[in-house]
Amino acid sequence: MKELDLLKKDWKKNSDSFEQISEKEIYKMIHKKSSSIVKWILIISILEISFWTFSNLFINTDDVLRKINHPEIVAALEYLTYLNYLVGLIFVFIFYKNYTTISTTVATKSLMSAILRTRKTVQYYVWYNLGMIVVTSILSFFIAFVYNPDMAFLREKLAVNGKAMLTTVGILILVILGFFGLFWCFYRLLYGTLLRRLYVNYKELKKIDF
Amino acid sequence: MSENLEQSFVAQLQANQNIIHKICRLYTDGEDAHKDLFQEITIQLWKAYPKFRGDSKFSTWTYRVALNTAITLYRKTKRTISTVDYESHQHFVRDVDYNYEEEEQIKLMYKAVYQLNDIEKALVFMYLEDKDYQEIAETLGISEVNARVKMNRIKGKLKKILNP
Repeated sequence: MKELDLLKKDWKKNSDSFEQISEKEIYKMIHKKSSSIVKWILIISILEISFWTFSNLFINTDDVLRKINHPEIVAALEYLTYLNYLVGLIFVFIFYKNYTTISTTVATKSLMSAILRTRKTVQYYVWYNLGMIVVTSILSFFIAFVYNPDMAFLREKLAVNGKAMLTTVGILILVILGFFGLFWCFYRLLYGTLLRRLYVNYKELKKIDF
Repeated sequence: MSENLEQSFVAQLQANQNIIHKICRLYTDGEDAHKDLFQEITIQLWKAYPKFRGDSKFSTWTYRVALNTAITLYRKTKRTISTVDYESHQHFVRDVDYNYEEEEQIKLMYKAVYQLNDIEKALVFMYLEDKDYQEIAETLGISEVNARVKMNRIKGKLKKILNP
């Protein structure tokens, strides 16, 4: 291509005509903070992981459990909590491992997939927690409804009125759906702006190679 | 020890800074963005420097980290449309033997290259820098054959932009 050769000639002619940056300025630069997307992903990920871990700690169900007075349920819930901690630890480990593989000296495609992998781990952790919320809210609704003495009046009421039962379940489902919708929007907003360009470029690279 | 590291890094970077300038020129429009990307690339290079063992040349290594930063890590602060007036941000002086027609063509070519996407720009950049297809392929993480095919497609695309 003739024009491209022309461009190359011009490119070479001008390749050392940039305003030079002094060593002093470079010294200053290397002590400044990076604003790369990897740094942002790391910050947001740590916030997310801590948020979900702490929110697990603060949900206090002791009072309700005492009232229910069914040791087998208490034991089951305790196991669930341990499982949660274990899963959390595994996620943190995988996240850390993925994060340390991010390196700017590898091929562009590998760098991109390393970043996306790190991102995905956190995403799975959030989805796991959201899933857990749904499971535990259904479970606790069920337990509260069946075993909690405070709920006896509601039980009787609902037993008579089938429509009320349907409404209660309907409201529960709506609340859960609304909750999910909110999270989904939040995620689109947060990571959409951060990762759009990376996704586009990653897709482009993959397209070339197939 | 770390001061020594800093010193050798800064000296080498200073000597090789044109590589970064050239990448900034392709990926940014305007002086502020140019400086911004230059700084981010410098930070990324410095962060990666302790692992730089010198089994490749400093310049080769710079190419890779700088391109990766421009394509993958850099967050454009302002969204500007990339149809830049080429003259507005070139900092160099023109030759004496001025050929008007050629000059116009070069200008149009720069404008066309600015319309390419980030990955295509990377290929064009390495082509302009006389890198062989093996290095282009290795830098981007694609196969050599596909790098070649893509470069031919880019040439076609540029032609189309020039003669719509």
